[in-house]
Amino acid sequence: MTTLIDSKLSEPGGSSTPPAPLKPLRLAVAGLGRAGIVQAAVARSIPNVELVGFAEADSAARRAAKGAGFKLPAFERLATLIEREKPDALIVTGAHHTRPALVREALDSGVAVLTDRPLSSALHEAESLALLSRDKRVPLACSHALMFHPVFAEASAVLASGTLGAARRVRCSTYRSRVFDTSRQAALAAGGATGGVLLHEAIDALFYAVETFGSPKQVRATAQRLFGELEDEVHVTLTLPSGGEVGLDASWSVPGYPAAATVLEFEGENGKLLASDDAVELDIIEERGTFRAGHTRLGLADLAQAARFDLDGEATYRVLASFLAWVAGGEPPIHRAERAVRALRVMDAVYTSSRTGGNPVALAVS
Amino acid sequence: MNNAPRLLLSLRSLHGPSLATRDRLLEVVARYREPESLAVTLAKAVAAKVDGVFTCSTPALRAALAELSTEVPLYVVVPSVSEYERQELGAGLEPVINASRARARGFAGVTARLAGMARPAMFGRGDYAWRLPVLIESELSSLPRSSVRGIVLDAWFTDLALAAGNRKMFESYTRYVRRNLKMSAGLETRNLGSLLAQLREWEIAPDFVAGPINPSGLLMKPSPEEVLAEVRRGTAPVIARELCAGGVDSLDTAAEYAYEHGAYGLAPDLTEMDDVGAELRALLRESARA
Repeated sequence: MTTLIDSKLSEPGGSSTPPAPLKPLRLAVAGLGRAGIVQAAVARSIPNVELVGFAEADSAARRAAKGAGFKLPAFERLATLIEREKPDALIVTGAHHTRPALVREALDSGVAVLTDRPLSSALHEAESLALLSRDKRVPLACSHALMFHPVFAEASAVLASGTLGAARRVRCSTYRSRVFDTSRQAALAAGGATGGVLLHEAIDALFYAVETFGSPKQVRATAQRLFGELEDEVHVTLTLPSGGEVGLDASWSVPGYPAAATVLEFEGENGKLLASDDAVELDIIEERGTFRAGHTRLGLADLAQAARFDLDGEATYRVLASFLAWVAGGEPPIHRAERAVRALRVMDAVYTSSRTGGNPVALAVS
Repeated sequence: MNNAPRLLLSLRSLHGPSLATRDRLLEVVARYREPESLAVTLAKAVAAKVDGVFTCSTPALRAALAELSTEVPLYVVVPSVSEYERQELGAGLEPVINASRARARGFAGVTARLAGMARPAMFGRGDYAWRLPVLIESELSSLPRSSVRGIVLDAWFTDLALAAGNRKMFESYTRYVRRNLKMSAGLETRNLGSLLAQLREWEIAPDFVAGPINPSGLLMKPSPEEVLAEVRRGTAPVIARELCAGGVDSLDTAAEYAYEHGAYGLAPDLTEMDDVGAELRALLRESARA
């Protein structure tokens, strides 16, 4: 049964003490929808962080934040916030089509940015933002939270350790109950979305797959459009340079998933790994590294709980804290812009393939 | 006077956040799909002499209560938010009030309408301190009020107000529930240590705070050590929840742990018990020893 010898968590899920900025930082939030409010709430518990203000075009959202008790300056325009409050770092949330311009504006002003994912729905725009960040030497990162989920961080660490050997079969799925009629999809499309379930829900799983298994050399994908122009289901096959394949399935039209749920199944030459939101399970054939042969189950309670505040899960704190540690002079985190761009290149290829009914699309391996 | 309960049966996993695994949640939700099943369990809890049931006002609860001739003491979590709705929650209180009122239509009595008139949105739209009573009255309108012993503010709103430093909300909420409703004022939280520390600094003492305490330290924020230190300081009676840490810790061990570290009461969830009646009676004996 449980035969774990020593589970040493590695980055990015990290140790029990998460990274934190080593010097005081002034932080602001642009966009006061759910994501912005969660980030603002979590930020206040991170050492050395002072939340200094908000930018939000919608007066009702500004009023709601004030009603919850956030007595901070809230501006209609980002430029005013930056000019008056002089933040060191900015969190950008909100609709897909509004974020890139805000990111650019902040970077141009020398303010580090953590933006909601994806970095942009257009690859060329994401590349241009990453370049701008590099040219200006201003940190830019993207909130890919799955890499920071305790279970998936542990799974990533186990896979990186080579315990399970070379991959024979890898499947990853992301499901959510979000779109069940045309009106719901139309509402998302009206918000400027250019993609469906992949862009909104499965981009995190795609980022995770690319970071964990490496950039694919080829992509094949098919998509189903059940309720409108955006894809409601997508089936992707990533072919790795080794020839191994990673399957990725996603749907936002499956009942029973109020929040996005991801499952990763890995079958290697020395055993299997199954990771879900609840636990990572290992079946190892021969003892290797820090794991004995047999079955091991590591639930959330067995894994490091590093966040000091929880509003919607452990990952939000870790994503933000590691970004802010970077802004304060620490190591670049895994969700920095160039890594996000790498996943977006794959996403772009997925959409290209799906538009041609699943024809293979080659990618330059990076 | 201490108005905190010692033992509550939590139905939270049927309609709220839970650390239980997905498999366990699906199993329990399926088991209590019929109101009769839930009614039987509520009757067992009453027979075991729990202080009440920790739940929000849902159609399933109301249907189960309608099956019973005995009174079931309730500690009502407000607002009633499904897991789907929870994913859409932001800072705004008005959409939640509107949704609650829409659900309550047909039940809404004079009290709920008066609360809305006394605290109109035009003078404090979205202000938690001003508008929470309207939400509470709306949530209570579909329940037998004589059964309601306490009100518990949902963790999302508690923790958001905590992060925002909204002292006024905590003061006015506690005062309103005690003085106007003559009920216990409780707070649900996922950040027990942080909340207790802040309440201590503000010198605000609700009747109880319900939050995660388990031997594994899961969801004990900001850290298990800080949570236990704050619990011992006794700012407010603490009702331990998420005792089994998602199924890792056994209920009896977890109960002993919670009492040892200063918890005033327990709220084991349906997902944490197989034989509800027997396990509640065992916990009651444990609480008498504690």
